[in-house]
Order: sequence, then C-alpha cells, then structure tokens
Amino acid sequence: MAQRRELIKGSADSLLLCLLGQQPMYGYQIIKELERRSQGYFKFKEGTLYPALHRLEKAGLVTGKWQMLSNGRPRRYYHITAKGRAKLAMERSEWQDFLRAMNLIFQPASH
Amino acid sequence: MTTALSHYLESIRANLRIDPSEEREVLTELETHIEDRLQELKEAGLSEEEATETCLGLLGSAKLIARQIYEAHSQGSWRQAILASMPHLLFATLFALNWWHHIGWLSFMLTLILAMTIYGWRRGKPTWIFPWLGYSLLPVAVVGLLLPYLPWGWSLLAIPFYFLLASWWLFCIVIQTAKRDWLLSSLMLLPTPIIVGWFLTLAPNGRFTQDALQRVAYFAPWIGLSFLILALTIAAFIRLRQRWLRIALLAISGLSTLIMVAYYAGGRLSLPTLIGLVLVLWGLFLVPPLLERWLRRSGKLKCQEQIGGGL
Repeated sequence: MAQRRELIKGSADSLLLCLLGQQPMYGYQIIKELERRSQGYFKFKEGTLYPALHRLEKAGLVTGKWQMLSNGRPRRYYHITAKGRAKLAMERSEWQDFLRAMNLIFQPASH
Repeated sequence: MTTALSHYLESIRANLRIDPSEEREVLTELETHIEDRLQELKEAGLSEEEATETCLGLLGSAKLIARQIYEAHSQGSWRQAILASMPHLLFATLFALNWWHHIGWLSFMLTLILAMTIYGWRRGKPTWIFPWLGYSLLPVAVVGLLLPYLPWGWSLLAIPFYFLLASWWLFCIVIQTAKRDWLLSSLMLLPTPIIVGWFLTLAPNGRFTQDALQRVAYFAPWIGLSFLILALTIAAFIRLRQRWLRIALLAISGLSTLIMVAYYAGGRLSLPTLIGLVLVLWGLFLVPPLLERWLRRSGKLKCQEQIGGGL
C-alpha cells in the first residue's frame, strides 16, 4: 500500500496533465474520473489534489478559470496550456519507455 | 455546513497565510468540493453526521493541505525578489558610494520608499511591499533622534509622547502585517537590530556629532555590506517555498549580520549591547507569532461564522 502511495505521489502531475489534456475539469470531477478510469486504483487524499493543481498552475502547465453554475455556485475548471501539452507529450514518451523496459525485465525469459 | 466542516475550513484558512484574494479562491474551491462530496454521500444514504465524518476522512489533514497550498503559492518571481530587496540595495549603494550625506539622495530615497509603500499597500499588500514598509518607519525613528535637540523642557515633554505614539503606530503596523502572516512582520523588522547596532557604534551617546559623522564615513563600506546581505536574504526569502527554510534563513542571516556588525565595530559595541540586540532579534521571531495567535483566538468565532455563512 505504501509503495502504491509513493507511485501515485510520483506520477500525480502526469496523471493530472493527462486527464486535463482530454478536457477541462474541476477538482471533484478529476477525483471521480481518476478513480473510475483506474478502476479504483488511484485514490487521492482529496484535499491534496488542490495543492497539486495549484503547483501545476503556478508552473504555467494548467490554468484555472471560474465558471458560475446555473444554481449560482462557482466552480474552478482547469485547462491545460500549450506548455502543459508539451510537458505531457514528454512525460508520456518517458512513461512508454519506462513501461517497455519494465516489461522486458518482468516477462519470463524465452530461452 | 456542519460545525466540524467549518472548523476544518477555518483550520485551513488559519494556516494558509497567502494573499487574501488567493485565500478566498482556495477556500471557495474547497467549499465547492465539500458540497459536491456531501451531496453524493447523502444521496448514497448516509446521514449528515456520517457524511461529514466520511468527507473529513477523504479530505485529509487540514494542516497538511494548508502547508502544501502555501508552498505552491509562496514562491515569488525574480521580479518580486528584486522589488523586495530593492530598499536594502538602495541603502547599500548609498553607503558603498558614500552618498549618505547628500540631502538630495536621501530625499529621493525617502520619497521612493513612501511611494512604493503606498503603491504596494493599495495593490493588496503583495509580499514585496514588507521590506519597503519597514523602511517607511525610518522617518519616525529620525524624528525620535531629533527630539534631544529640542530645548530642555520641550525635549522632556515631547519624548514620552513620542514614545507612546511611535510604539502605538508600530504596534498597529505589526498587527496589520501579522493578520496576513507573522513571518512578514519579522521580514519587515529584520533590519531593526542591525540599524540600531550601527547607530550605537557610530553615536553611542545618541547624538550625531562631528566625530559620529566621521565614523559614518569610516564604517560606510561595512554598513553597505550589511545592507547588501539583507538584500540577498530578502531575495532568497522570496524565492524559497518552504516556510521553515524561510524562518531559518531570516534567523541565521539576521544573527550573522549582527555578529558582523559587532566584529567591524571593533569594540565600540559592548558585549551586553550585542546580547541586547540579539534578544531584540529573537523578539522579532517570538512576538509576531504570539500576536498572530492572539489575533486568531480573538477573531476565531468571526472567521468561523464567515465560512459557515458563505455556504
């Protein structure tokens, strides 16, 4: 479990960029989407999502925009920026290389 | 919203210590999140109490969230770092180039300090304003230094009034600063023991005689150096994210600059005086947090009502 937490912690920024690369989302929606798409594997402590989003925003990788809902409640939607997309492309490529290398090691030897 | 959740948000607010406009946005965002989660939990059949308990468990530690958000927001840009260290750099230049006796330069700096302080204050008190705000207290100190030159009776009458008025003004400014973050009060007042240290070296009897002015000329490079160290400290402070590193930086830099003052003063600053100045420096890191705690306790109910009422 601790190992999983560390893995999630290390890849939180990539996960957030990846989700926001598909569509703008607000915090609660991100939590739900991560949980749904990972079939419950990725479970954040919900409060710690916001520091991560704000860190990405300060780094210019995402930008937050307030939207007023029909019921008068404000919601902050996060959009990926061009810089964020470039970073995402780089991280995706790194992940693919990493996974390929891991598979090569983990798969049973063929001879 | 239940009291437990209001307490939770208040705990985050109390530990955030970021710009008031950013603070409002962070709290609104968290409130919306909590509302969404509560609604979902209640729809799943949980009671108000169970939903609150589950929601708090899912959110995680309020202090940890506040600390992480502080670290995400606290780092200033290089532009802000230069702006914040500018008043120290100006004083360093003034002494390094021996321009301290030119009334024109002194007037220009005083005007610039007051203008920047008013500008920053009207722009929502960004972090870079606080070193400028500290220097804007200099004219008050100068008035205090001029009081002994009044005729004897007037001087005796004016000093207690001045002392009360200046202390009250300083207290008001420190309170205003501590409302935002006590560490900014320490940042603002950091030059005080160093300036007092140099003053006692140059004019031990409190009067700027011809000898004292000659000593200023002699010590000017070292005075300039101490302001340069302050400028570098403030620039590094603005760029650092972690709060404990910021506190350590101010404490270590303040102490080492004071020791440097004592070293270059070459015996003109006695050991008891140096100890007194170190105690003043220590007070800069002790009094503002106590004031902040007192402010938080006295204003606690009001804040909770504001947060609870906003939902």
